[in-house]
Amino acid sequence: MSQSLRPYLQCVRSSLTSALCLSNFASQTSERHNVPEIEAQTSPEVLLNPLTVARNENERVLIEPSINSVRISIKIKQADEIEHILVHKFTRFLTQRAEAFFILRRKPIKGYDISFLITNYHTEEMLKHKLVDFIIQFMEEVDKEISEMKLFLNARARFVAESFLTPFD
Amino acid sequence: MSIIQQVTSASLSDNWRTINIDALDPDSSTNFDTSTLRPSLAPVSESEIRSIGQQVRQLLRGGDAEGALRGALESAPYGGDDSVKEIHLGTVVEVLQGIRASEISGILGRIWGSEGGSEVVDCLMKYLYKGMAASATVGKTPSRGSTLTPQSTGAGFSQMGGRPGAQNESSGAAMSVLLSWHEKVVDVAGLGSVNRSMTDWRKV
Repeated sequence: MSQSLRPYLQCVRSSLTSALCLSNFASQTSERHNVPEIEAQTSPEVLLNPLTVARNENERVLIEPSINSVRISIKIKQADEIEHILVHKFTRFLTQRAEAFFILRRKPIKGYDISFLITNYHTEEMLKHKLVDFIIQFMEEVDKEISEMKLFLNARARFVAESFLTPFD
Repeated sequence: MSIIQQVTSASLSDNWRTINIDALDPDSSTNFDTSTLRPSLAPVSESEIRSIGQQVRQLLRGGDAEGALRGALESAPYGGDDSVKEIHLGTVVEVLQGIRASEISGILGRIWGSEGGSEVVDCLMKYLYKGMAASATVGKTPSRGSTLTPQSTGAGFSQMGGRPGAQNESSGAAMSVLLSWHEKVVDVAGLGSVNRSMTDWRKV
């Protein structure tokens, strides 16, 4: 792991661990409803201050806590256009399968590439430290995945170009 | 169709089905007055905060890093408006960058152990998050421009053009200072400090 990645992930880990203190909280606007307050935004007093953790301006995490839900949005590093396309395809692939991930949000919030929504039901059913580990591991893996895909893509493009141009040699 | 949050005369006649009626009800929880939760704070003027900034910088130049950090954090303008807060954020970040990495733990330990130290460290935590948030949004505009430039040239998938990360090494360096401070603050003050900066209505 690179030198500056470790403090970044450590910072996200401690911020997330603090933010994931959730309790059951029924909606105050509609009776017998129980909605994630951070999404509904119907009660301003139960929303907490959002936290931003940034490694540089292209890599940052936004944690928006509230009384019964936390929204975590990640901006993945995109150094050039190929990485931009790869990140888009990759996050699209994941968000289309959002049911399988439970905490994945179907649509990222503006300015970020992928969002997670953790509610009190998730923290009741799953272990909190495992949820934090999942997010951290995702952030570790996704950079690796994207750069690997980029290398594959370049190698394949080179091979295709070579075999395409052989007859003209 | 999105829900209309603000009601104007145009939206009333247009598509009244999508109006968020909770926003119109004074008893609704949507209209909860959060100012009742905020403690009343004395307003801070821009000239005051500038003079505090000068004093802090003098302390920092004089080699008293701990005093500079303490002074900057104790005079945090909770009651000031956005521009005042922005100026003081610059002062605090400057102090943080002026302190060597090897000295961080010692200074934080001494501040934490002293009278009213936990309040000062919590305030530092708020500034760390604000610093990261501010540089993330300020830096967005040039990076947006630099990613657009290679597209407009129509050169296809050029890998030479867009390396926004490379030309903004300075922002990454500023961020790594804040990140290492964050790690040390969590070591000293624990996760409670993060929680207090999340829940406190006195925003920096």
